[in-house]
Amino acid sequence: MAGINVMSQEHIEVIVSGKALKARPGLTLTHALWEAGRAGEVQTGCDGGVCGACTVSIQLKGDSKTLIDLACQRQVEDGMTVFPYPAPTIPAVAPNREISPESIRAAFPTLDRCTKCGACSMVCPMDIPVMDSVTRMRSGAFEEAAEDFTSCIHCGQCRVVCEDRVKPHNMGMWVRRSLGMAQNWERLAGSAVNSPDESWDLLLDCDEETRLARCREFRKTGRVES
Amino acid sequence: MEWARDSLKRLEDSREARRNAVHEELSQEEVDRLLQEHHPDHSGKGRSIAVGANANATAFPIELADLLESKSRLPDDYVPAADIETDVLIIGGGGAACSAALALNESGLKTLLCAKLRLGDSNTVMAEGGIQAALGPEDSAQRHFADSLVGGHGKNDPQLLKRLCEQGPEGIRWLTELGCLFDVTEEGMFRLRLGGGASVPRVLACRDYTGLEIMRTLKDATRLTTTEIMEDCPALELLDDGAGQVSGATIWNRQKNCLQSVSARAVLLATGGAGQLRFQQFGTSNHVGATGDGLVLAYRQGCHLEHGGSFQYHPSGSCYPEAMSGRLVTEAIRSVGAQVVNNEGHCFINELTYRDVLAAAIIREVREGRGIQTPAGSCGVWLDTPLIDIKHGAGTLQKQFPGIVHRFAPFGIDPSQTPILIYPTLHYQNGGVRVDEWCRTEINGLWAAGEVTGGLHGTNRLMGNSLLDIITFGRRAGESIKAQLPERKAATRSAADRFQRDLQKLSESSVQGPQLFPVEMNMNATPGQ
Repeated sequence: MAGINVMSQEHIEVIVSGKALKARPGLTLTHALWEAGRAGEVQTGCDGGVCGACTVSIQLKGDSKTLIDLACQRQVEDGMTVFPYPAPTIPAVAPNREISPESIRAAFPTLDRCTKCGACSMVCPMDIPVMDSVTRMRSGAFEEAAEDFTSCIHCGQCRVVCEDRVKPHNMGMWVRRSLGMAQNWERLAGSAVNSPDESWDLLLDCDEETRLARCREFRKTGRVES
Repeated sequence: MEWARDSLKRLEDSREARRNAVHEELSQEEVDRLLQEHHPDHSGKGRSIAVGANANATAFPIELADLLESKSRLPDDYVPAADIETDVLIIGGGGAACSAALALNESGLKTLLCAKLRLGDSNTVMAEGGIQAALGPEDSAQRHFADSLVGGHGKNDPQLLKRLCEQGPEGIRWLTELGCLFDVTEEGMFRLRLGGGASVPRVLACRDYTGLEIMRTLKDATRLTTTEIMEDCPALELLDDGAGQVSGATIWNRQKNCLQSVSARAVLLATGGAGQLRFQQFGTSNHVGATGDGLVLAYRQGCHLEHGGSFQYHPSGSCYPEAMSGRLVTEAIRSVGAQVVNNEGHCFINELTYRDVLAAAIIREVREGRGIQTPAGSCGVWLDTPLIDIKHGAGTLQKQFPGIVHRFAPFGIDPSQTPILIYPTLHYQNGGVRVDEWCRTEINGLWAAGEVTGGLHGTNRLMGNSLLDIITFGRRAGESIKAQLPERKAATRSAADRFQRDLQKLSESSVQGPQLFPVEMNMNATPGQ
């Protein structure tokens, strides 16, 4: 018994896919699975919170509520129950630079089926106000909706939980790309003027040491003279 | 962070005095000495290898050297047959792979993209700070070139670098046409930030999610092309015709758990870097696929590796809490004013100097006892992130860097109130497969683009040049393949077998390569089991 007590001080127990996992406190779920030789159970991509590969459903000890989070971002807690919860990819929808209330409905016919249950906002691991953003898309407030989806990692959970077949993250991508394509390049880039072409010769037609010296000079003065 | 109370007090006490102080640039002699004494590339812990194009010439990190001299993962009795036939095979699933696929779209060529993980699970998606392009009023492609070449210690391939800098604005135009949204000023123009080592502001960003913005756009656009995409399919070996031309690859289809050989008229390696090899026990900011697979495969075909011993240790990897260890804290945080501070409350270097120099300086501080020790046993220095709101107004950090705030929140750390503890993290493979300005390797039929290539960045890369690299050269690889597509040839394993025979004459390796997954993952990487 003494031995078990020592273990319980050093390790906590998490249940992953119905199987107990002993883990060091402070580790992420992803790294706890790696240490236990169970990396294959939850997919990993970036291990940095931005690719959306490692979505899992989680129940904390003594709480019946189910959470969705990224295994690479979530620390292990004693008694938590975890299942892998990947979202399958669905086909992309071509963006449309003529973005309008009509064109978004043509691209996403289920847009107006949203019943504002809020499940999408609840599951978003990036804390995007998904449901509010869908409302903004319905009312044509596209700039604001695009801003909402700045941090979207395309994990697809908002679509998976939607009983009304709304596809929030696909719509977020569509709105961002459509607005992006409609931008005016000249206005964004201003009048960027390149220096005359002859300075390339001075930077290229020389040995490594001379080139380095000329580049140092260029950085200081904005010119190369010899 | 009660354990760091005294150190944080010293940091806060010194803040007023140092916040507007300007650090003198180090002299060239000081830079050289710092790098020699403290940069991991110069630790003397590398070794040369006995076979292949770089035999007895280059000192590689030991973990990479072992893989370059590794045994093939193909079973001895495996005979490739053309299970899949395509015109172009792209190996990789990040930004360079997608840029090439988009360049090849509507060419009439059948394109197959094989990704080891899922499409987009890559180092591209993790890039935070931005992408460089000479778009500022005082800027030019030549100035971009000069900054990058000085940053790369003059070792950059000048022709590759010229292409990169010349095509910067065009790359941004292309991304904008695809629908990328970069941050703009109040006047509606691109907001340009100063990057470390740049002489004028040149870095475009989408908050601190620049790579995410670019990758999800490229991924979405690629899914709308006719490119066939196979996920969970790492390449185990390149195939060749027995007469010096690459003609396909054998992949491990992990969803079906079987080997499949692909016959292709052109193969593009876009496999990325090697940070997950974790040289000298460094942490890494890289995604789990970054195990140097492309280097190993190309090397067996006879390709040279340029600057194969040069790696970038990003100065600001997180080192507390343990769960965040090695993760990137973008350089852009330093460009808007966060200073690097040691345990004495002293700002010991200009925080916007070159990455290799700053990394070496941080390692020196820690070695010489001026670091801050964490309860988990790591040691680092402070990145004084609260300075950003102090300098630019409350809420600036949250507005411009929502990613960093979001990632630290689960650990009860608010970077706008509490500094972040940092230590260099293995971030980027400066060197790689030798290519020309059309991404052609020395071997017919084989192209390479992105982090797997070497030469462009010299021995140290500037912030924002890697995202521009994958866009510029990914597209150029696609264009080049279209223009110079070879005829279809037999797909055999003769070059790989020859390499193995040369290897066996010299040593008995027990290592299998490519590695495919990080050692830390404890993955069984044996096909069929």
